[in-house]
Amino acid sequence: MDKILSRNFHHPHPLNIDEYQQAGGYRSLDSIIGQPRKELLATLKNSGLRGCGGAGFSTGLKWSFKAPDAPHPVYLVVNLDEAEPGSFKDRQVLYRDPHTIIEGVIASSYILEADKAFIFIRGEYRKGAQGLEAAVNEAKAAGLLGYNIRNSGWNLEIDVHLSAGRYICGEETALLNAIEGYRANPRAKPPFPIAKGLWGSPTIVNNVETICHVPFILHKGIEWFQNQGTNGAYGSHIFQVSGPVKNPGFFELPLGTTAREIIYEHAGGLLEGRELIGFLPGGASTQFMLPKDLDIPMHWDGPPTVGARLGTGGIIVMDDSLCPIDFMINLMQFFTRESCGFCTPCRDGLPFVKYQLEKFETGEADMTDIDTLRELCDIIYPNTFCAFAPGALMPIKSGMDKFETLFHQHIDNHGCTHPSHTPSTDAINNKVDC
Amino acid sequence: MFTPDELTHLKQHVNHYPEPRAGAIYCLYAVQDKVGHINDKGIEIVTELTGLSKTQQEELISFYTLLRRRPIGRNVLRICDSISCHVMGSKAILDAAIKQTGVPIGEISKDGSVTVLPSICLGLCNKAPAALLNEMDEVENLNVHSINEYLNKLSEKPHDLNNKGSGSNIIATSGRENNS
Repeated sequence: MDKILSRNFHHPHPLNIDEYQQAGGYRSLDSIIGQPRKELLATLKNSGLRGCGGAGFSTGLKWSFKAPDAPHPVYLVVNLDEAEPGSFKDRQVLYRDPHTIIEGVIASSYILEADKAFIFIRGEYRKGAQGLEAAVNEAKAAGLLGYNIRNSGWNLEIDVHLSAGRYICGEETALLNAIEGYRANPRAKPPFPIAKGLWGSPTIVNNVETICHVPFILHKGIEWFQNQGTNGAYGSHIFQVSGPVKNPGFFELPLGTTAREIIYEHAGGLLEGRELIGFLPGGASTQFMLPKDLDIPMHWDGPPTVGARLGTGGIIVMDDSLCPIDFMINLMQFFTRESCGFCTPCRDGLPFVKYQLEKFETGEADMTDIDTLRELCDIIYPNTFCAFAPGALMPIKSGMDKFETLFHQHIDNHGCTHPSHTPSTDAINNKVDC
Repeated sequence: MFTPDELTHLKQHVNHYPEPRAGAIYCLYAVQDKVGHINDKGIEIVTELTGLSKTQQEELISFYTLLRRRPIGRNVLRICDSISCHVMGSKAILDAAIKQTGVPIGEISKDGSVTVLPSICLGLCNKAPAALLNEMDEVENLNVHSINEYLNKLSEKPHDLNNKGSGSNIIATSGRENNS
C-alpha cells in the first residue's frame, strides 16, 4: 500500500510549499483544474470513497446532491473539530503536513465550484491552526489560491477558522452555527447544509481526511485507490490505537485491516501482564467489540457484523486493569459535560444514565436498576434533536449486552470489587467552569 | 486595550464575514489573549466591533469552554480526563494537581501561577495521560511525579499566559510542530 496522507510524516518538520512541491505536492491539480467537473465527480462517486469522519457516507453521492444550478456563493467546510475521545488522526495531518489539507481543499472546491472554504479547527489545536494559516499564505503567494486560479475562471479563498471548544461543534449543522457566531446548537434537518448551509447558501461539510483523499483519487485513478484497501474495502485509513498497549499511535493502513493486526502488530499488543477485555473500534461513541471480534476487518461493513461501527478508526483498548462499568461512567461523564443542552432527553437524560451507572459502582443498585437503565436508553435514543445522545448511548447499550454478568456481579457484591475502584473525584465533577 | 493597528485588524476580520457576529469568537479570543480572561471592558469593545449585546456575548462565553469570563492564574493547564487518558491514570494526575496547587479544580493556585482544569480529549491519546498548557503546549506521558514537577516549574516561571501574543496575530504566526 502507498502511504497517502502520512507520506510526508517522516520529515523532521512540516514541509514548506517549495519542499512540498518538490516532493510531488500540488501536482494532482494539473489533472483536476480545468477538467469537466461532472466527470471528476463521477470518478469520485465510482471510487467508493466514504466519509472518514465516522458516518461513512459515499462522498461522491453526497456531493452529487448539490443542485447543478445552486446559487453562489457555495461554501466548502472542512471539519477539523476532532474531539472524539480516542481519535487523533486529523491532528497528525494538521500538525505534520498542512499542505496536504490545502491540496485536498483546492481539488474538492474545484469540483464543487466552491467560492470559499472554511477549515474549522478546534481551539485546542491552536498551534496547528497557526501552521495551517502560514501554509495557506504560502499557497496564496504561489497563486494556488485567489482569483482566476490557473486561468480557469474560478476563484477560491480559504479561511482558517479557530473554534473555542465544545465537542458538539463537530456535528455539521452545529459547526455552521459556530462559524456564524452562534452557540453551537445543531440545526433541524432538512434543509440539509448542501441546500441551505452557511448564511443560507449551499454548503458542503466533510471531514478533513476525506478531503485529503480526493486529489489522489482523481490524479491516480479509481483502480489505484481501490487497490489500497483490503478485505473488500477501498483506500487507506489512518487508524489510531490508544490505551494500555506497547506502542500507542497512528498507522496509515489499508482500510479493512483486521483489528488484531492493528492492535497486536502495529500497536505492539497489550502491556506485559495485561489481558484484553474489549475495545471501542472508532472513538467513544461506538459500540464495544470483544476479543473474539479481533479478526473482523476494520472497514465500514466489518464492525456492523457484530453490532458495532467503524467510527473514526480510533481504537480504544480496554484491559483488565479497569472495571468496564468505570470505563462506561467515564464515557458518560464526557457526554454529560459536552451535551449542548438544547434538548431535554440529552441534557437531563444523559446525567441520569451516568447516575444509574454509578449506582452499580457504589453498591446502591438492585435488579430494577438494570431495567431502569435499559428503559432510559430506549427513551433517550430516538427522542433527541441530533445524533449526539444516540452516539453517547452506543457504548452503554452494547456494554450492558456484552458485559451483562458484570452488572449482576456488582449487584451481588454490593458494588465494584475491582482493585482499581476508587471513589470519583467530586471536585472534578462539581467544578468545571472558569 | 488594543492599539489602533490591532483594532483595524479586528474590524477588517469582522467585516470579511457576511454577518459581523461571525467575527465575535475571534474578537473575544483577542480580548482574552490581552487580559487573560474576557473582562467588561473587552465586552464593550466587542459590542462596538460586532454589534453583539453583552447578553449575546455572555451566551457565547458561557457555551464555549475555551473562553473565560473570570480571571485565571498566570497559566491554564487543561488535564485531559477523557477515556484514553482515564484508562492510563488521569484521575491520579488530577488528584495530584489538586493536592499540589492547594485549591480545587478551576480555582487559581495559591501562588497565582496556574489554574488547573479538566479537559475533553486533546487528541494526545497516544501520549496519555496528557495535558495542554495555555492552549498551545502539549504536556505528555504524565505521571504523579512529573505533574508535580511540571507544576513546580510553572510556579517558578514569572509569566506565561501572554506568550500567544495579541489578538492581531491569533493565528498569523507560524507554530508548526516538529515531526520527530
